[in-house]
Amino acid sequence: MPPPATDLPDGVPPHRAGSPRRDPVLLLAVAALLLMLRVVLGFHEAPPQPAPPTGALSGADAVQWRTLEAGLAESGATNRPILYDFTAEWCPPCRAMQRQLFADPQAAAEIESRFVPVRVLDRQREEGRNAPWVDSLQARYQVNSFPTLIVAGVDGRESRRIEGFMGCDATLGQLRGPGINLRWGGTEPAPTDRR
Amino acid sequence: MNLTLVLATLRQRFTSPIRILIVLLFGWMPMIPILMAPRAGFAALGDCYFLALALAAGMIGQDLSSGTLQLLLARPVTRAQYVFSRWGAVAAGTFLITVLQTLVAALIMTLRGAPVPWGGAALLLANSALLALGTAAVMALLSSLATGLGDLGLLFLVFISVQVLEKIGMFKSWEWLVRGAGELLRALKPELDLAPYFHGGPVAWLAVVSYLSTVTLCLGLAVVVMNRRELSYASSGN
Repeated sequence: MPPPATDLPDGVPPHRAGSPRRDPVLLLAVAALLLMLRVVLGFHEAPPQPAPPTGALSGADAVQWRTLEAGLAESGATNRPILYDFTAEWCPPCRAMQRQLFADPQAAAEIESRFVPVRVLDRQREEGRNAPWVDSLQARYQVNSFPTLIVAGVDGRESRRIEGFMGCDATLGQLRGPGINLRWGGTEPAPTDRR
Repeated sequence: MNLTLVLATLRQRFTSPIRILIVLLFGWMPMIPILMAPRAGFAALGDCYFLALALAAGMIGQDLSSGTLQLLLARPVTRAQYVFSRWGAVAAGTFLITVLQTLVAALIMTLRGAPVPWGGAALLLANSALLALGTAAVMALLSSLATGLGDLGLLFLVFISVQVLEKIGMFKSWEWLVRGAGELLRALKPELDLAPYFHGGPVAWLAVVSYLSTVTLCLGLAVVVMNRRELSYASSGN
């Protein structure tokens, strides 16, 4: 089989000459740089840390709540979905959920094994405003009442929603079960709390 | 990027009956839930990954197997231009379909008397554009490696292999393997969710860098692979 015809000088590889086959050196350099940065950032991700104290709700929790940033990183690394707990200090069903579900070591262990738990505490009523990330998550998942549990995949898509609290076993059962959305008499924020 | 090549690719993709069928299936099926629940917003539209795959499959490989590429590259077009044009055309075609989808969904909502969440539409389109560019880049690399529609087979093979590796990592509690497999899985579907930034949230630098790294690496490698392919008629037995 004869070699393909080429008009390049002898010994010049086609991909190195000033030919239609020149390699995109700049693009490859940028890609290599980004790849290195990706590895460095990946290694420097903060290990999951408990969230800073967020008031009475977190006081006796057996669940180790992650900060949003740590939760996202852990979810990406372990491929476990994030369990967002949208809650507020003033909401009685939220406090019941905290006492019966999140303070129970067995329930907490099951939650930790299945999900990366992230608490999203609403401070609208107490402080007149929320941190931007809280508002952002509430808007994104269209949270209109407390408590609301949202299970979101690594890609951020909501796969399960549980509104209100009907007891530890029922909630755990729903968290174990297939992706369906439930609403059980939760507490709606006062009109001033709505966004 | 070469505009003529971009337009030719778009024409080629949008005149293929099987692709049209798939696009109709994946593009218009989500209209049913929007018709039934117009107040639920644009969530039912989902993402454009499968649309992008439908348009991207064989984007380079089919030219390789049909012998079209030899004729095409006889023109004053560099191989890098060819790859970038294919990539741009597939991403643009996918984005175009997503824009049409969104407009039709908005029209349905309006006709059914539901408010149209235009902020959500803008976010959906921005995310779709990024996913289309990312998916097209991955498919450009796979398509430069395999002839015909082999890129889809390669994608499936890599996906299954990485899933198996991830499960092994989980079983053996090898965190490095689980993490590596997770990164690879994300690289197969490069996307960047802009929702947190729309609401002033913190920038997830790892996600941004991962996305850009995947896209640039795939495109760069696709050009390198193409540059090393011999396309003379004598070697066209592939």
